[in-house]
Amino acid sequence: MSAVMEATAPPVVRGEQRRTWAAVFALARFEARELLQHIPVAVTLLFYVGYTGWKLMSPPDGMDAYPALQDADRATQTAPLLFAIALFVCVNRAALRDRRRGTDRHFDVLVMEPWRRTAAHALSVVPFGVLTALVVGAQFTWQALRPGAVGHGSVFELAVAPLYVLLFGALGLLVARLIPSAFAAPLAVIGLFTALLFVSTGTGGAWTRWLSPVVGESSSSTLPSELIGRPAGWHALYLGGLVLVAALAAVLFAPRDAVFRLPRRGGWSRSSPRPFGALVGLGGALVLAVTGAVGQSGGVSSELAAARERASVAPEKEQSCVRHGGSQYCAFGEWTGRTGTWAGVVDRIQALAGGAAADRSLLVRQRIDARYGLDGDSAIAPSTTPGQVTVGTRWGGNRVPEFAVGVASVLVGGDEKKGGELCDGRVVTVMWLALGGDPDPVADLKNVRLDDSLSGSAVVLAPTSSLSMSAGQTDVVRELLVSKPRAEVTAAVKSHWAQLTAPGVTTAEVARVLGTEVPKGADECGK
Amino acid sequence: MTPTVSASGLSLRFGGTQALDDVSLRLTSGVTGLLGPNGAGKTTLLRVLATAVPADRGAFTVLGYDPATAAGRQEVRRELGYLPQTPGFHPDFTAFEFVDYVAILKELTDRGARHREVRRVLDEVDLADVRGKRIKKLSGGMRQRVALAAALVGDPGFLVLDEPTVGLDPEQRMRFRELIAHAGEGRTVLLSTHQTEDVAMLCHRVLVMAGGRIRFDGTPAELTARAAGRVWSSTERDPGAKAGWRTGTGSFRNVGSPPDGAELLEPTLEDGYLLTLDDAGAEVAAA
Repeated sequence: MSAVMEATAPPVVRGEQRRTWAAVFALARFEARELLQHIPVAVTLLFYVGYTGWKLMSPPDGMDAYPALQDADRATQTAPLLFAIALFVCVNRAALRDRRRGTDRHFDVLVMEPWRRTAAHALSVVPFGVLTALVVGAQFTWQALRPGAVGHGSVFELAVAPLYVLLFGALGLLVARLIPSAFAAPLAVIGLFTALLFVSTGTGGAWTRWLSPVVGESSSSTLPSELIGRPAGWHALYLGGLVLVAALAAVLFAPRDAVFRLPRRGGWSRSSPRPFGALVGLGGALVLAVTGAVGQSGGVSSELAAARERASVAPEKEQSCVRHGGSQYCAFGEWTGRTGTWAGVVDRIQALAGGAAADRSLLVRQRIDARYGLDGDSAIAPSTTPGQVTVGTRWGGNRVPEFAVGVASVLVGGDEKKGGELCDGRVVTVMWLALGGDPDPVADLKNVRLDDSLSGSAVVLAPTSSLSMSAGQTDVVRELLVSKPRAEVTAAVKSHWAQLTAPGVTTAEVARVLGTEVPKGADECGK
Repeated sequence: MTPTVSASGLSLRFGGTQALDDVSLRLTSGVTGLLGPNGAGKTTLLRVLATAVPADRGAFTVLGYDPATAAGRQEVRRELGYLPQTPGFHPDFTAFEFVDYVAILKELTDRGARHREVRRVLDEVDLADVRGKRIKKLSGGMRQRVALAAALVGDPGFLVLDEPTVGLDPEQRMRFRELIAHAGEGRTVLLSTHQTEDVAMLCHRVLVMAGGRIRFDGTPAELTARAAGRVWSSTERDPGAKAGWRTGTGSFRNVGSPPDGAELLEPTLEDGYLLTLDDAGAEVAAA
């Protein structure tokens, strides 16, 4: 049976104008909503937002109340890692849904082509990246609004978490397009983490560690933001490039329209199965990612190394100083607002001191060792300048009594080096000065001792050199802080200042002067 | 009447099988039935017309659009509602979500209008009460209606239904007939089925396929008329009959060439269909 094809009815214009890209965005919204209903995504997202919210709402404790924003920005990076992994797995599942349920052949004859559906899957991750950015923004803003906040954050460091959330989603999609199997995603997650472990630690932590999305630092010290030297901008560019590479490659590897899966037939045209724009975009994204990767591998510039050296060896050239009372306080630019807080501690200690120490003019100087950047922690050598006290870049928590011990040891010993070498009865005087005016002296005595003990011998922490307390000295200090009225001890210290700070004074003598029980074996200096 | 679909000389070979052999047809508004035995080429024809697979030779248009070009194919797909023989589902989606998903893939972008349309088609297939229920919780008949709703969404001008009543119980089949009849009002529906009753009750026109070719193209009455004078009753099965079976009354109903003086019976559409297939078989054998 054969016939000549007849003219059919003219094309009908339907009521609604259907716009192709609007449909892609509509599908992206649909898929994003579906993703949110996946248990791993919902649970990890809830955990991420809940944990961050709980941390923000909790009253700031210790050093949390005095954040350095150049550290606070990096602190936002690791929390959404589980969420990102969940997104990887669930985007992968969503992208394989049609294949798994056998609807792909049916949906082939619907208007939206498979590559546009893949683009919609890629776009469906965007709301989660935006949500992560909002959480990160809230987290950082909250820190920045704390009265004790100092420093400057980097928008590029803040961009890392949202970018790797996007990256993991896009990678999940790419894996689905390259290996359309439900088993591929878990294996890919394991492979990805093995690879990241290898690049971040396996090769010595050089430039390769920057290939990992999140790059942590081995140092816990805080540096002025201009000395940090992390290539955050390049890294953000690298991550952004990778996101685009993964998403566009997934679009290019999208399943082909049914017509393209079959041998060429019947003169049916095969319009470009691979969207040209995506191909061009992929090229551009690769350029971005490679540029970022190269930029971030540059290492420390000679200018930065010189600046770090200056800040470490001759900080006075980089700092500005202010006077509070009789003392001078010199700080790096980002910490000048904190000098008043330091002065409060110095004033409190000097109020307990006697003799010339009560009015002595001190120089409180902020000192750092920035020569190795954030690659490692190194101790700062005690100063031999008379009357100079070192203060660090971190504050709050244990850093306060540590600073107080530093101030007291300089008042008693003359300088930091000598103060750190005290081991006779003057240690008791130092510890009383440091903690006697403290609102919770026993807790701070415990905190400032390395082993968190209230008895026995221990090392006492200070900004530069530590101080050693014998068991007898500990007993005397504890009794002074716990049992003796503060006014009484203060009066005794002031009236016997010369005796209490004389070199070679024994712990027994100090105990007798201050009216506490003389401990057995108190004179154990140097043992 | 201006045809919605016009096809000429469609041929398609899969390996050594000629699935379609020079098929030409015109489809106009209303329900057209497509009858044929298994392997006749019905599903292949539907897949070609649904643009799922191109033919080796021949051409067709749907509402004036030529699917041979990529742009034309997109336009055909905009006008198409397709219910495949074994539709897949996303069991974790609700009925509403599934149809909404298909509506998006049909590029219905305005959210409010799309949701109204999804509700409309779910109402139309009588699933309004269960639209929030997950598909995995629905019965087979309900799932089939979800698939029909998905085909209907967007008000397509050309609806292709591939054996939509397979596996349904009689009550569900009756319900489906109502739906298809309603769907055929104002649009062109091509219904592939093994159920001659469906064709008799629904279709203004019927095509019979066998061996990849169209063997009959006419009204159900014309197909029935093909058996006029070729159905008779006897007390024993007539050895000369093409087919014969004992009826509930105990007598035999024979289809074929009746002997002289036979007691002729009123033919049905199924009798006409059987004789058409028999003629086609003879033609193939002769060839």
